[in-house]
Formats: sequence, structure tokens, C-alpha cells
Amino acid sequence: MIALQNVCKKYGEKIAVDNLSIIFDQGTVSVLVGPSGCGKTTTLRMINRMVEADTGEIRIRGRSINEYNPVMLRRAMGYVIQEVGLFPHYTVYDNIAVIPRLLKWNDARIHKRVMELLDLVTLDESFCEEYPVQLSGGERQRVGLARALAADPDILLMDEPFGAIDPINRITLQDTLIDIQERIQKTIVLVTHDINEALKVGDRIAIMNEGTLVRYDTPENILFEPGGKLVEMLLGHDRNLKALSLRKTSNFIEKSGFSTVSPEDSNETIQRIFEGKEERVVFIIDSEEKMVGRYHCVVESGEGCSVMKSDDPVYIEKSANLSEALSKMLESGEKVLPVVSSKKRLLGVVTLSSLFDEMSRESDRSNT
Amino acid sequence: MPIAIVIGVSIGFLISSRPHLSRIVIGLSSLIMTIPSLALFGIMVVLLAPVKLGLGITPAVFAIVLYSLLPIVRNTYTALNEVDPNVIEAARGMGFTRAQILYKIKAPLSVPVIMAGIRNAIVLGVGIATFAFLIAAGGLGYFIFSGVSRANLFMVFSGAILVSLMGMGLNYLFLRIEMWLTPQGLQRN
Repeated sequence: MIALQNVCKKYGEKIAVDNLSIIFDQGTVSVLVGPSGCGKTTTLRMINRMVEADTGEIRIRGRSINEYNPVMLRRAMGYVIQEVGLFPHYTVYDNIAVIPRLLKWNDARIHKRVMELLDLVTLDESFCEEYPVQLSGGERQRVGLARALAADPDILLMDEPFGAIDPINRITLQDTLIDIQERIQKTIVLVTHDINEALKVGDRIAIMNEGTLVRYDTPENILFEPGGKLVEMLLGHDRNLKALSLRKTSNFIEKSGFSTVSPEDSNETIQRIFEGKEERVVFIIDSEEKMVGRYHCVVESGEGCSVMKSDDPVYIEKSANLSEALSKMLESGEKVLPVVSSKKRLLGVVTLSSLFDEMSRESDRSNT
Repeated sequence: MPIAIVIGVSIGFLISSRPHLSRIVIGLSSLIMTIPSLALFGIMVVLLAPVKLGLGITPAVFAIVLYSLLPIVRNTYTALNEVDPNVIEAARGMGFTRAQILYKIKAPLSVPVIMAGIRNAIVLGVGIATFAFLIAAGGLGYFIFSGVSRANLFMVFSGAILVSLMGMGLNYLFLRIEMWLTPQGLQRN
């Protein structure tokens, strides 16, 4: 746990951090977000004493950081910056081994640890002998993360870690970080100016402006009750859409309103289903309830329809969020999307209308 | 020459984190370079005469060392201070001490620029070393100055060519040393 109490920092006349008190919980990802110059980076850098606070106190597990030697304090924390700052004259292996070597680990232990870390950040062992100039931006940031985790610190400080990376790789890296965090459970403090990144990776989000803390809450609470102009501005106009990304598809499964058939059913059976109801789609499930295909009917001129079969139907996994479900629907043009378990068992459907209902509920809630 | 390298690089390291001192030192060595080289030999002779070392090798060495200092000191200073600030930031953040940052990070990354300064100084040094002949220190200057006084063009040319060859040879030698000293990760740039 990291606790800041009444911390102030001035640069000349300019107040960077103004009487800030905040607690970053053990084993969670806390994100500092806000416009540039809001004091978020200064706050982060005060934790490892790269910047010394003017007044106030910062405690780590109850002990003031001023009791530690700054060099020792930093070796006990991971530190990742936007430009990574890999040492260009060291190989990937040597870069990751930097802190263990400063801590005088023996070679066998260092070797084992480097291999573990490469695996953790999903890099191949063949990267060991590469130099930073030979890596892509995303690979460099992975090495930077591995290097920061090398001595297994409890605390990881990250300053805009994905800021310099293209949007596609940024998303992959965010997913990697979330994945890794699930396994390692570090206390992570991450600075970003990207609210979407904050909502995605943060357990709690601290919104800062002009050196003060505006809001400190979970992503859900901030999205659903921004409570203030600045927060609303940061969240942008697509707040309702963003809110969907925090909702799990599994909570919106409808068990009725669709039909299933087995692969052995005859054409007449299927035709009859289509005739009797307004449905346009029928799902095919095998004896283990796994979805193996679907029939849908294409309306021809006049009455009736011809039945088309597909062995590769669109579906969504129940672990996906509603925003992903919505984009699947928009992509495929389907208003009803089958939801499957991780083993492809058909669980039910989500419908476009239920998504609209959810979105309007969100906006009602935030307008009152 | 080795003397100039040792002194020059050491001074460069010493002033690298002292901006105020560095201005004075670099200013001073620039000042020395503005003295015409021949005059500098003369000054050395006069200065060292009281200790009975006024002529011969000693004043020549002093003059050449002083003259070669500027490119070495300046390049060392610049190189150490122009290492990517992100790399320094990362090193500090990971718990490198100031000394560790200087020796493990800044120094190896500065090798190419420091070596360029040394090569510069060597070529310069070999050139002005010809004047050493005039203060009874011998050397290739003998051919040039005797040639001039005897109006022997062949002698002047052979002296001059030998001096250039020596400069080029030493430059090449140090280029090889530079490649050998430069960390691998920098060479693949």
C-alpha cells in the first residue's frame, strides 16, 4: 500500500501538486489520469523520490519513503517510462538482468529469472542476444516491462508506458499487462492521459487537474456518475458506448426467443420453424449443445423463403463485453447474436434491442 | 599523445557534471588553441628554461599536449552530456548510483564521440609536432625546415608526405581501436 498525505510540490512559483492525499491499494492497478500539467507524472515520480516532495508524507507499507536511501528505494520498485530507455549498448538479456546484477544475484538465478520474464511478457528466448535497435516499439516496451519486474518488486510505477506505441500494439500491450497483473498481483501506479486506457486497465482511477485530485473511484462509478464537467469532458461524448465495454455479455443473455435444431433434423422440420414464427435464424447444436452452424432464411419476392445453411456462424463468447457484442452485430448485420461458452456451448442470445435498452438506461441514470 | 589522451579524457569526465567549471575549462583550452602553434613552442621554451628544460623533448611534449587538449576535452564533455536523457532517467529510476550511471551507461555510450575527438587531436598533434625540430627536439620537422632553408624541394616534400602518412596511419589505427571499443549495440545503428 502506498499512502500520500498532504503532499505538495512546487516548481518555482508553479504549483505542480497541491496538498494531495491518496492511497494506492496493495495488489491493484491505480491509474492517474488528467490533462497535461495536472501533476500526475510529478505525483508518480515522488513515490520513488525521482522528485522530492516539498511538504507532506509518502508512506509505503507504513514506512515513510524518506527513511530509505533513494537508490535502494528505487531498486525495490519497478519503473517503466514512455520512451522505455533501454540501454542501447546492452543486449535484451543484459537489459533485463540489470537490477538483479546491481543486487548481486548469482548467474544461475539471473538466467532463470530472465527466461521466466521473457515468457511472462510473451517474448521468445531468441530475443536474448538482440540489441534494442533491432526491436520494434512494442517489443522494446515488453523488454522494459520485463526489466522493471526483474527483481520481483511489490510496486510497479509506469509513466505513460504505452504512449509512444501505435494504437493496435497499444491494445495488445494493455491486454498483456492485464494478463500479467492477474498472475503477479503487483501494486501498480500507472500514469496516462488516455481515459480509455485508464478505464481498461485501472481498478481505480484518480482524475487529477491542476495539482489536485478531482475524483478517485472505480471505472464503473466514474463512467456512470461522472459528477462534474471536467470528468465528463475527459470521458467524451461516447460515454454511453464506453459504458457498454464495462458490461459483460453474460449478464444479458436471453434464454428464449430463438430456436435450435440438431444437425440430423430434416429440411421440412426447419422449414416449419421458419413458417410458424417471425424468426429468420435457427441455430444448429449437436448432442453436447455445441453450436455447429445455423440456418437462416432469405426472403424472396412474394411469399416464403429459401433456407441457407452456414457452418461458420457469427457468435460471441460470454466473457466478451457488450461493446464487442455491438460491434459484432454491426459487422455482421445480425440483430440477434448467439452467446457461447468458452467450449462453444450455446447459452442463449443477446439482442440489439437489449443493448439499446441498456444504453438508454445509462443515459437516464447520468442525466438525473 | 597518450599523455594528452589521458589528461583530456580525465578532464572531460571530471567536468561532465559541473556545467560552471566546464565553461571555464573549455574556454581555457580554446584560448590555448588560438595561440599560433609556433608561438606556443616558443612560450614553452621560455617557461621551461628556468628549470633547465628549455630545449629538446620536454617543451615539445608540453606544447603538443596542451594543443591537443581542446578537441579531446570538448568531445568528452559533449559526449557524456548528450547521452539520451530517457536512458539516464530509466537508469536513475532503477536505482543506479551517479557513479554507476557515469561508468556503466554514459561512458560506453560516449566512446564514438570521444574517439572522434582523439583522432582529431592526433592529426593536429602530428602536424604541429614538426615545429619541435625548431626547439631541438628532432623529428620529421628536420626534413621540412632544412629543406626550406636549403631550397631543396625534394626534402620538403618527403618530410611533408611522411608527416601526412604518419597522421593518416595513426588516424586509421585509432579508428580500429574505436570500432573495437564501441559497444556492439551501437554499431548496428
